[in-house]
Amino acid sequence: MVDVAMVGAGQTKFGNHPLGLKGMWSEAIEKAFSSVDNDCLPSMVDEAFIGSIAFGGSQLGNTAALLTEHSGMDGVSVRRVENACASSGFALRDAWMTIKSGQADIVVAGGIEKMNDLSAERKRYWLGVSGDTEWERLAGLTFPGTYALTARRYFHEFESTHDDLVHVSVKNHMHGFDNEVAHLRKDVSFEKASSGAMVADPLTLYDCCPTSDGASAVILVADHLAHQFTDTPIWVKGSGAGSDKLALHDRPSLTQLRATQLASQKAYSIANIQPDQIDLAEVHDCFTIAEVLATEDLGFTGRGEGGRFARDGQGRRNEGEVTINPSGGLKSKGHPLGATGTGQAVEVFKQLRHQVESPRQVRDAEVGLTHNVGGSGATCAVHIFGRER
Amino acid sequence: MPISKYSVDNVVFATSVYGERWAGPDGDRLTIALQLLQSETASTIQIDSFVESLEYTPSTPVSSIIESTTDWKVESDGQYHLIASNSSFIVALTKDEHLSQWPDLSLGKVIDEDRETSIHRAWKKEVSGVSQGAYVSQSQHMLAMPSRLGLHAQEDASTIVWPPRQLNAEGERIAPASNKLDNRAFILTWTRLSAAGAPSEFSLRAPLLGGVSTVLVEFASGPKGVFMLADDEDGQASIGQEVSFEVRRLYGQDELIHYGLKALLI
Repeated sequence: MVDVAMVGAGQTKFGNHPLGLKGMWSEAIEKAFSSVDNDCLPSMVDEAFIGSIAFGGSQLGNTAALLTEHSGMDGVSVRRVENACASSGFALRDAWMTIKSGQADIVVAGGIEKMNDLSAERKRYWLGVSGDTEWERLAGLTFPGTYALTARRYFHEFESTHDDLVHVSVKNHMHGFDNEVAHLRKDVSFEKASSGAMVADPLTLYDCCPTSDGASAVILVADHLAHQFTDTPIWVKGSGAGSDKLALHDRPSLTQLRATQLASQKAYSIANIQPDQIDLAEVHDCFTIAEVLATEDLGFTGRGEGGRFARDGQGRRNEGEVTINPSGGLKSKGHPLGATGTGQAVEVFKQLRHQVESPRQVRDAEVGLTHNVGGSGATCAVHIFGRER
Repeated sequence: MPISKYSVDNVVFATSVYGERWAGPDGDRLTIALQLLQSETASTIQIDSFVESLEYTPSTPVSSIIESTTDWKVESDGQYHLIASNSSFIVALTKDEHLSQWPDLSLGKVIDEDRETSIHRAWKKEVSGVSQGAYVSQSQHMLAMPSRLGLHAQEDASTIVWPPRQLNAEGERIAPASNKLDNRAFILTWTRLSAAGAPSEFSLRAPLLGGVSTVLVEFASGPKGVFMLADDEDGQASIGQEVSFEVRRLYGQDELIHYGLKALLI
């Protein structure tokens, strides 16, 4: 079967972005194509998959056609992929499968979201549309609320406290401080992160990722073209995805994400990689408790050990077996919903090519993983990348 | 919130704990009436004049709400009449269609009048304004009402299923609800959203209430669910604590009030 290589990757800065949709997307595409070592043009693309929740409803229909029209890909077979915050993780998976199946040779996967030009009311509405509207939303739940329910239950079931979440926040802010594309570039002390304003008890402002604007894109090619474009392709060694019941209360466990477990098992199996072989992982830390769960569900630590993993600083850059969220993660780098998944891939692409500015570079990075979750865990896409085919 | 009941000459009157002046932050004549009916032996009832007394139109017919929530049957020639005062929050259950006099039931829990006025205004604005809140259609509210208000549950291979589901893993359609969950459950976890973190449909009331509390509970028969917590000004939820459920106003949208079950700490 065809192997798939990533030969280019680019993104906008995440944050309160001055550009509109077309400007942001074209910037991400421009950067992705210019990152390819040898000539690669938008007009050469066979297929494009663009993840988005559609920016507060401003372009719900034919989103992808609008964006490709403004990025030199007019005429390309294109579609929007929507799986809430995992939209571009699934766009990446769809792009990978398209090449794997032999139906295309050059495919763009990307994502985009523009949230900060919405009114506060509309933004809060739009951020909540990916939960179970009928049974969760009408019970007063937003995503901070859902993850707060999970966090409190986690503390109850395991030897863990809110301090463990503070360690996640401090680490990710430290990682993101030097990342020039990060939304929140500020070093945060343990004391400060411990005393944030309460958002959804027990989660404070420092447990929650920001709402960001941003766009990101990667270029995948079939194996026979990889070395035409670069001497250092990054291979997509495995892709897995899973789903779970939409509402938290319908799941057997409140402290595990089955979708993550299913997705990672599949990705590890295809890549023939074990969790202890991963050098760096961009995990979906929309809330700090989500990173704690991810370290368990992805197999980096045992069940109920995620709090200790964070407390011991095991995910810090170049300090443990695996660096968790070297970009700063959603917490610091930002979370432009539909753009987050391929944004994670952009970071892994640069890390594995050892092109990240010092001191952010993970030493001797050979194998990386991305973990992109939709909503409170209803969908998840996991990808494993390597320098070796 | 328990109601206060007062019986005289075969008429049962009910108010909220605030007496006749207020039905509470998420109460109204209908929520008082539902508790009154649940506390009496079920029979048949006429409700025509009661419906006219409601401040806002419910998103689903009052008769359906009563029959989903209680064992009473609404009939045009029902044995009892449900009547409410138009000028106060007193509800009466009587066999006579016309009451000669409403009693003075002004005593009750002390009301913070500024807060009461603010909450009243918030409801008015929420119902009449253009809401940015989640949209669940009237027909969907109707379809789910027995489950939402009455905790009606399905059974699939001896597993109790709630909220309702369509097909099981074998592709078989799960039979309509044949069970009813207990009106009590235990808290598995809970949170309190700050006013700024509350969903947009609660954004007007949340600051007045000091936030919105939500509990995730497990029923004895297995299903789990999430509910807003009501009447928690004087108490805080904890894991393992037992709650009961009452119908309250959830939110207003498109000139309609949506009702649902809320949890109360026991």
